[in-house]
Amino acid sequence: MNKMLSFTALVFALIALLIAIPASAQGQTLTVLCTPQEDWCVAMTAAFQAETGITTNYVRLSSGESLARLRAAQDNPEFSVWWGGPADAFIAAAAEGLIEPYESPNAAAIPEIYRDADNFWAGVYVGALGFCSNVQVLEELGLEPPTSWDDLLAPELQGNVAMAHPATSGTAFTAFWTIVTLRADALEAETPGAGYDENGAPTQAAIDAAFEYYAALNNNILQYTRSGSAPGTLAGQGEVAVSIIFSHDCTKLQEEGFEGILVTTFPEEGTGYEIGGMAIVANGPEPEAARAWFDWALTAEAQNIGPTVNSLQLPTNPEATVSPLSVDLSQINVVNYNFQAAGANRRTISERFDAEIATAPQ
Amino acid sequence: MYNTMRESQQFKQINAILRDPLLALALLLMIIFVVTAVLLPLIAMIGESASERGQPLFVRYLTDPVYQTIIINTLVLGVLVGVVGTAVGFLFAFVQVRLNVPFKRLIHIIALIPIISPPFAVAASVIVLFGRSGTVTRGIFGVRYDIYGLHGLVLVMTLSFFTIAYLNLRGMMQALDPALDEAATNLGAGKWRIFRTVTLPMLLPGIASSFLLLFIEAIADLSNPLVMAGNYEVLATRIYVTIIGLYDTTGAAVLSVILLVPSLLVFIVQRYWISRISVVSVTGKPSGTPQTIDYPLVRWGLYALVIFICGLIVLVYGMMVHGAFTRVPGVRWDLTLANFDFIINGLGGQAMRDTTTLSLLATPIAGLIGMIIAYIVIRKEFFGGNLLDFGAMLGIAVPGTIIGIGYILAFNNPITLGDFVLIPKLTGGQGVFGGALAIVLVFIVRSAPAALRTGASALSQIDPSIEEASISLRADSARTFRRITLPLIRPAFLAGLIYAFARSMTTISAIIFITTPQTKIMTQQILNEVENGRYGNAFAYCVLLTGLVLIAIGIMYVLVGAQTGAERRIEGGR
Repeated sequence: MNKMLSFTALVFALIALLIAIPASAQGQTLTVLCTPQEDWCVAMTAAFQAETGITTNYVRLSSGESLARLRAAQDNPEFSVWWGGPADAFIAAAAEGLIEPYESPNAAAIPEIYRDADNFWAGVYVGALGFCSNVQVLEELGLEPPTSWDDLLAPELQGNVAMAHPATSGTAFTAFWTIVTLRADALEAETPGAGYDENGAPTQAAIDAAFEYYAALNNNILQYTRSGSAPGTLAGQGEVAVSIIFSHDCTKLQEEGFEGILVTTFPEEGTGYEIGGMAIVANGPEPEAARAWFDWALTAEAQNIGPTVNSLQLPTNPEATVSPLSVDLSQINVVNYNFQAAGANRRTISERFDAEIATAPQ
Repeated sequence: MYNTMRESQQFKQINAILRDPLLALALLLMIIFVVTAVLLPLIAMIGESASERGQPLFVRYLTDPVYQTIIINTLVLGVLVGVVGTAVGFLFAFVQVRLNVPFKRLIHIIALIPIISPPFAVAASVIVLFGRSGTVTRGIFGVRYDIYGLHGLVLVMTLSFFTIAYLNLRGMMQALDPALDEAATNLGAGKWRIFRTVTLPMLLPGIASSFLLLFIEAIADLSNPLVMAGNYEVLATRIYVTIIGLYDTTGAAVLSVILLVPSLLVFIVQRYWISRISVVSVTGKPSGTPQTIDYPLVRWGLYALVIFICGLIVLVYGMMVHGAFTRVPGVRWDLTLANFDFIINGLGGQAMRDTTTLSLLATPIAGLIGMIIAYIVIRKEFFGGNLLDFGAMLGIAVPGTIIGIGYILAFNNPITLGDFVLIPKLTGGQGVFGGALAIVLVFIVRSAPAALRTGASALSQIDPSIEEASISLRADSARTFRRITLPLIRPAFLAGLIYAFARSMTTISAIIFITTPQTKIMTQQILNEVENGRYGNAFAYCVLLTGLVLIAIGIMYVLVGAQTGAERRIEGGR
């Protein structure tokens, strides 16, 4: 029975170890809810930890998942600061009381269009939506890289387009709201007042028209992924021809093994863009460390970390270095994206998309 | 007459338990475990689905054609995986027991690989190999094969789950009495006729129960449909999106109940009906070695099929190992250690430590719980023993996603009785030990049933008179259990521990909703990498996870001891 005894001893040693691990990790800590790609989260938390000595931990979740998770733990938040992902989700979170305002001393450096007037969130990067296509697959299908949203509806592309699910992904929600904006513009051009209401928000008719577009596009979608950048890898691996993702995520893939395979194009009629937001979680643990992160992430130094891991979003701090690989917003046609209206409609659109489009037979 | 005898028998048993305080304590602990860790979450989930907001959702989901399609999809997938998986398992078992062919031991080992396989490994490999731009389909045959959807799911699930059918049927085939075959031969029956009219009917309960077990696994599986369902939506993925994207716990609870009904029905049929009509054990121990089949066409035909499937398994797992060391599997084949570098310098180091620690904590507890419940059920037959057994088995009969949702619903807030906190908040980052306790509990709940079954089958083969002798010599039941029973069932205990550990390390669906910022779980990280298509990182995680499981199994062999050839004795049931 000696072996049984030593086995029991081992178990108790392990239990002691488990209890000892959290005890040894005393000192200031920070838990970041991180929405951009995993390697950027690693680089950012490592740099912050090195700079401040605060033990920094993160969980990567897509925008929609983050919102869902913050809602779930509203009474007892698990995270202190939420960094990254389109601002629409932050606007939705502010409306639900999930994040709290913070007036950072460093916010003045950021242009006002990239900040919330009420200081609920501040922008840390900017990116434009594009089409990321596999040239080899397109060639076989006899198609050119798409330059219009309507190109995605081509019957040859059946099962050959990928996008994320707007309920989980901010990228996909940005894509949805871009079509809402384009439809609102078209309706407004026909009859003034049909596309936008008196507050400048797209009308329900425009939203319904966007649902019609995505119902048609659904025939061509292979699957709705959870995270926004995943469709790009599907295209890179040749599983689909075209993916709808942020152009910087496509550039990142080109830099990391898919050069010559993937090509980025933009829809001529206009594409959506994101302001990557950041906010303090309401009543979160570690508020001081959270504010330290907030201040730090707005600095040029912190915003220069992205390009080191091929995350080529445009920095919001004018002092930060812009990589030559980043998209030049002045060269593409960007829609007039109403972030406030997008945030206000986020939940109803996500739920309706899930019920009407994502589950629909093809 | 019989009934009163039985009742007085049970009364005596209850009396015996009450007179033995340690046994009573053990029984009490087991009841507390089953009630809080298994039943409470299920009740919380069913309660949520029956709430005012849940009731109309039942009507909606059951009448909406879209959801009807999803339900039918789920059942069709379960039936197909059940049929194909059982067929493959049968083929492997038949070749193993009835054919005299080379490399049988190697084939056996290859067939066991899926037991310790990390989730997503098979699906990700299959996409790289046989996807639309797959290395095999595209690279060798030049076709753009569409693997996404039902047929792809049946393929990956068959490869992942057929081992269950194989082990089940192999045990039964070995237990078949060759004398029956000989009798049939003497009466002039040919081999085919014997197979059709003697072997097959005898194995029918085993075939049926394999089918049902595979059906349960297939409809519960989340990881494979997440990666390769394409537009073939099933209930498990629907539940996942409902929680992850919308955090609609009520909707998820309603869908869970819809998924729970077929799972539980099939489980009850399998456990309490099919497994009771086994005809194999009637003849007792086999008297001789099974006859082998010599017709060259049958022999080499079946062998070729088995070798082909083995080749497929080796290819799939070979891809996993190779992919872990390549830059972008399927696209850029440059060899690199960058994937491991990324993982270990990222979250992988912590994930490895957390997952291993929590699994090592859960494993001995699950093993002990399994053995104690087996002991109570088999040795101390009393009213309620079967209920306890059923309750513990629910941990595996219920799909993992449902356990996870049940935990969120039951333990997200402290359970109080007046001012007294009965159970503190367990799930979420602010739960006990940063939510780690809930994860350990789920590991135990999911892995104790395997230990329970191996323990029960081992105990029922050991003559109770040995234990009775110990009791007569005035050892109490704890001493008897520790000094007599446990050493006798040590091989079963070891097998139970190995299953428990492998299951904890590789479980995904049950813990996916209860991981917290403080605890990093490897399977969750693999999901992140696979979901983003970073297969190189995902494969590297899979390799590390498999390595950890193998090392731990090795250590358990050394510590618990396997000089007796433990695994062979249990698997063979001899």
